[in-house]
Amino acid sequence: MKLDHTLPLEYRSEENSNRIFGFWLFLGAEIVLFSTLFAVYLTLWNRTGSGPSGHEIFEIGPVMIETFVLLTSSFTIGLFINSMRQGLKKPAMVFFFITLLLGAVFLGVEIMEFVTYVNEGATLQRSAFLSSLFVLLGTHGAHVTLGLLWGIGLMIQIGREGFTLDTANKSFIFSLYWHFLDVVWIFIFSFVYLKGLM
Amino acid sequence: MKKLFPVKHVMGYLFSLILSIVALSVVFFDLSVAAGMSILLVSAVIQMGVQLILFMHIGEDGSKKALYTNIAYALFVGLVTVFGTLFTMIWGYQ
Amino acid sequence: MKWDEFFVTGEPMIYGAMVSIVVASLAILIGLTYFKKWGYLWREWLTTVDHKRIGIMYIISALLMLFRGGVDALLMRAQLAMPENGLLDGQHYNEIFTTHGVIMILFMAMPFIIGLMNVVVPLQIGARDVAFPRLNAVSFWLFFAGAMLFNISFVIGGSPDAGWTAYFPLASLEFSPTVGNNYYSIAIQIAGIGTLMTGVNFIATILKMRAKGMTLMKMPMFTWSVLITCVIILFAFPVLTVALALMMFDRLFGSQFFTMANGGMDMLWANLFWVWGHPEVYIVILPAFGIYSEIISTFSRKNLYGYKSMVWSMVVISLLSFLVWAHHFYTMGHGVMVNGVFSVTTMAIAIPTGVKIFNWLFTMQKGRIEFTTPMLYSLAFIPIFTIGGVTGVMLAMASADYQYHNTMFLVAHFHYVLIPGTVFAVIAGFYYWFPKLFGFRLDERQGKRAFWWIIISFNVTFFPLFFLGLKGMTRRMYTYSESTGFGPLNLLASIGSVGLAIGFILLVYNIYWSFRYAPRDTTGDPWNARTLEWSTHSPVPEYNFAIEPTVKGLDPFWESKKGGHQLYEGKIEEIHMPNNSGQPFILGIIFFFFGFFMVFSWWVPAIIAGIGVVVMLAVRSFERDHGRHIPVKEILETEARLGGEQA
Repeated sequence: MKLDHTLPLEYRSEENSNRIFGFWLFLGAEIVLFSTLFAVYLTLWNRTGSGPSGHEIFEIGPVMIETFVLLTSSFTIGLFINSMRQGLKKPAMVFFFITLLLGAVFLGVEIMEFVTYVNEGATLQRSAFLSSLFVLLGTHGAHVTLGLLWGIGLMIQIGREGFTLDTANKSFIFSLYWHFLDVVWIFIFSFVYLKGLM
Repeated sequence: MKKLFPVKHVMGYLFSLILSIVALSVVFFDLSVAAGMSILLVSAVIQMGVQLILFMHIGEDGSKKALYTNIAYALFVGLVTVFGTLFTMIWGYQ
Repeated sequence: MKWDEFFVTGEPMIYGAMVSIVVASLAILIGLTYFKKWGYLWREWLTTVDHKRIGIMYIISALLMLFRGGVDALLMRAQLAMPENGLLDGQHYNEIFTTHGVIMILFMAMPFIIGLMNVVVPLQIGARDVAFPRLNAVSFWLFFAGAMLFNISFVIGGSPDAGWTAYFPLASLEFSPTVGNNYYSIAIQIAGIGTLMTGVNFIATILKMRAKGMTLMKMPMFTWSVLITCVIILFAFPVLTVALALMMFDRLFGSQFFTMANGGMDMLWANLFWVWGHPEVYIVILPAFGIYSEIISTFSRKNLYGYKSMVWSMVVISLLSFLVWAHHFYTMGHGVMVNGVFSVTTMAIAIPTGVKIFNWLFTMQKGRIEFTTPMLYSLAFIPIFTIGGVTGVMLAMASADYQYHNTMFLVAHFHYVLIPGTVFAVIAGFYYWFPKLFGFRLDERQGKRAFWWIIISFNVTFFPLFFLGLKGMTRRMYTYSESTGFGPLNLLASIGSVGLAIGFILLVYNIYWSFRYAPRDTTGDPWNARTLEWSTHSPVPEYNFAIEPTVKGLDPFWESKKGGHQLYEGKIEEIHMPNNSGQPFILGIIFFFFGFFMVFSWWVPAIIAGIGVVVMLAVRSFERDHGRHIPVKEILETEARLGGEQA
């Protein structure tokens, strides 16, 4: 295998650098995917039928927690890559663990939020606005869930093998994914919640 | 400490928290729709830039130009989808 | 659910189809066992990650789907041949035009093009495989799972019947209560994910794995067209993913996106569908432009005229393709402003397309044109496609469109674009690259005979439809009364469709005959062609090139044949190749069952299958497979067997 030692570990083999490149392309597709969901939401957001409007159901408290938790997890996954690049396995693992923990907290708060909505009678089937709200948030939440599963699998692999060409590459790609979810959340935070409460 | 918490990352984090609070202001101050939306848009776009450049290291890849093109094209299609849909389905009726 | 709801009953034709499916499956199973081919099938095909074999599997699937979609078309033409014909009832006719459209676009045109991409692109850029060989196999098996799931709908549960566009509110649960449109939303979704992965894979391959010296502006035109196509795939397919997911939510979980009450917006579906759907048209047509560019240049013995303008016109087309979608529903009732804007953007696309047409003409000017079968298709393409394009500009004018919207005029228009633009192109490409894959050419005399049948019958079939449309015959009507006067032209069109069927039978016979009797080609370059793929052996060894080529300019092989520089410098070294894997195939099967259970809302099995998918992802994540190395000795042996020293 040809290795270029001037590059960080995760880019070093041609195969690995292709993978990072390919994942960026995939994120391009994800941008369009979420844009389409936003297009649907922004088209339907005031078509509430007989159901409640966003202004009536949104609560700023849980949303701020979710935002804070996700921003922090994006910070810690950045620190994880930073430690990885210095070959510091132990702190890296700690940062990774904190990231996943924060992800789980985010998910818990979001599920509780959904339960509250449903108890208030704001269900998926109630109106076009609620359908688009649940599917937009749910798609993001499903990405976070998948990220958690992926992250757990990855932690096991790093624990077993340390940082090798494989695990470093996977870790870096995972960090791209996680930062991307944070970016999507910023837009949900701004254009779903804050706009709705405005 | 500096090894584990580089200044760049800490600054980026603080910056993103501040931007979120700036965005939050639209809820608490009585702003016009246009002003509120502008604040949201500007703060969200800056946040995105912070993530892309500081945390995702987009600039250090060997195929930088292709990656920027990729993101630009995705944003082009995304914006066309959002505003084109609004134009076709809502604004176009008035 | 009772059995008679599960299986489609009450139609003699469907019973016939069921019997033939069972007989054909049994014949395949018995045949494989009798000839002891199970191991061969598994080792060489089902688990392969070789781009050439995956390409062949795509093309075989596409040919099968061409047959299926073609039978649908023949049934429709048979029904319309006479006024008040009773061959098909309204429901059956609805199902048939729906499946015809979906299958021809998504399960015939797309895989045929992706198949040719797979076969040709790595060879043209001097690579040994695609960037992600395993992902490539996953793409294929997801496409195949989706295609099979869609196809079983006509015997199990009933086919979708709301048109290939599945417009709401007709496609909603309220108005289409059978599982037909569940198949639509789920089968296309599965295949679509595969296509998206293909897009990622080929962009990465083309941008990161080109031969030394091949800068972007030295890439062959087909590779360029594939790059642009994949860019469109990458950014258009997510929109389809979302649209289909919302449709599934509406139909399976009772959400209100496109419904008639509670704030739902039915035309939002049409909007999203065409945000994807118009770029999709360019996805199937741009590679065709690339194929024609290669063929016209090769058989004119000249380099392509206006290379840079060709590239730039494709880039412009790719951007414009995202800006025109609303022209598919001018009559929806939005304002003048919307129709005006989309009218202008639509007409603007004619400009870069026109540039390409002139470039092909100028390429041929003063060339020594050789009338081979692929060249004949390319020549026929130019005038026929121009008719399609010009009628497209007519349809682009919003105010005039109100006259012929959703008439047979439209049907004629898009067949005049898609058949020469895509079908002729993939046939031409198939004839052109066939010897590279199999080591012999398809018989030219038979090929030309099939060509003339197809070209003449095509015009007999579709030209009358322009007039029928202008007279007021709408599309998708399953019968008409004699007093409309539609009878004679419809009969003519139906006669034409029989001719098309004969043409395709001749084409298939040509393939069969050539496999048995055609003389073998040992040169690797039967057409005296120009690009890198012709500089290696036919059939191509699994590693493609024993030594990685070095490129100095456009048409590198042509230049080296004329005594330019040496393509292959250096000595043979070990070659690193990816290992085969059964995982993509298994993943495809799991996806098939997942989709099937979702269609029937059988939640428990669906969840189990869903967990199966996650398990497969985990298995892949924990796997450490770094491929294998082919030793020098083995490469030398292969090279010797395939015809001596390279180049």
